[in-house]
Amino acid sequence: MASGAGRKLTTNLTGLAVAKNPHHTLSVLYNKIQRALLQMPEQSAYRKHTSEIISTRSKLVSETKDVAQLEQKINCGQIEEVIVQAENELVLARKMLGWKPWESLLREAPKNQWQWPPTK
Amino acid sequence: MASVLRQVLNFAPRVLLRPLVPKSPVTAALATQQFRLKTTDAAPAPETRPTVRKSDTAARTQLIDFGKYVAECLPKFVQKVQFTAGDELEVLVVPEGVVPVLQFLKDHHSAQFVNLVDIAGVDVPSRQYRFEIVYNLLSLRYNSRIRVKTYTDELTPIDSANDVFKAANWYEREIWDMYGVFFANHPDLRRILTDYGFEGHPFRKDFPLSGFVEVRYDDEKKRVVCEPLELAQEFRKFELSSPWEQFPNFRGPPASEEIPTQEKK
Repeated sequence: MASGAGRKLTTNLTGLAVAKNPHHTLSVLYNKIQRALLQMPEQSAYRKHTSEIISTRSKLVSETKDVAQLEQKINCGQIEEVIVQAENELVLARKMLGWKPWESLLREAPKNQWQWPPTK
Repeated sequence: MASVLRQVLNFAPRVLLRPLVPKSPVTAALATQQFRLKTTDAAPAPETRPTVRKSDTAARTQLIDFGKYVAECLPKFVQKVQFTAGDELEVLVVPEGVVPVLQFLKDHHSAQFVNLVDIAGVDVPSRQYRFEIVYNLLSLRYNSRIRVKTYTDELTPIDSANDVFKAANWYEREIWDMYGVFFANHPDLRRILTDYGFEGHPFRKDFPLSGFVEVRYDDEKKRVVCEPLELAQEFRKFELSSPWEQFPNFRGPPASEEIPTQEKK
């Protein structure tokens, strides 16, 4: 068990329990995301931007031991919310492998499709 | 109230001074000119009127950057990124790209648009793909909104966003009911707003204003009957167009403004 003095009792968010070992969970999730990103082509913008975000966050996680300080440094909500964000990103990255969004545009819109007002 | 007080204070010294100034027409003219110069401001001041919306340049540049970011990350699906009404960001996507774009906007770290506010439809019969489907998203984390638009026609199905947002279930049923746009992989695509046995899609431009059927109580059958509509009067055509331009104020600025994305340069 972590030190009992500064431990958080609740996140004050419905359905979101206090994380038992956030450092471990986060590092596992970030490693999984990085592994999924490695399968994308090098020049893909999604891979570039996401791996940048993930590496900064995982660096912060490995550097900072105190949870409250870590939350302050990441500055994206409580640590439990950060875990949820990492889970979402992992799901997204794995789905992106199937969608291949880095390819060129499927097709241009037909002429006048996005014109407003429609008659002029 | 404060401005009235200020005016009174401005006027007070002038009223006091007036007996001391020699009474010549030139000085009188000068005095009025000074008064004019004081009260009218020539330079375009920043908007302070309480009833006019101020433009937030910081938020605007952020939205421009985010629009470019989305187009850069998903070049396969994003056709165009634009601003409407000055500061509302719109991403225009190919019909196949609805689910990937929505999933990206929901789950990516720097987007987090986790709320689906509404799905709307637009019918423009003169276009090749007559229906526009509009997804309004909200990010509570970054206090920001975005709109995703795509297009389809009567026969082409669009992928259901139900797997990404649970809220899409009823909204897509509404679109199906009102416009007749078919959503593939929707778990329960039924009518939601119109009555049982209703025929047609009321928000289509070719749906008549009076509908196709009328409902009345039949005294002989002792029940409500549903009959084809009979209009007592023939349909008349009115000539309503005027030779004068009705709304010259709306001629000038375009409705939307495109944000240049990288691959188009």
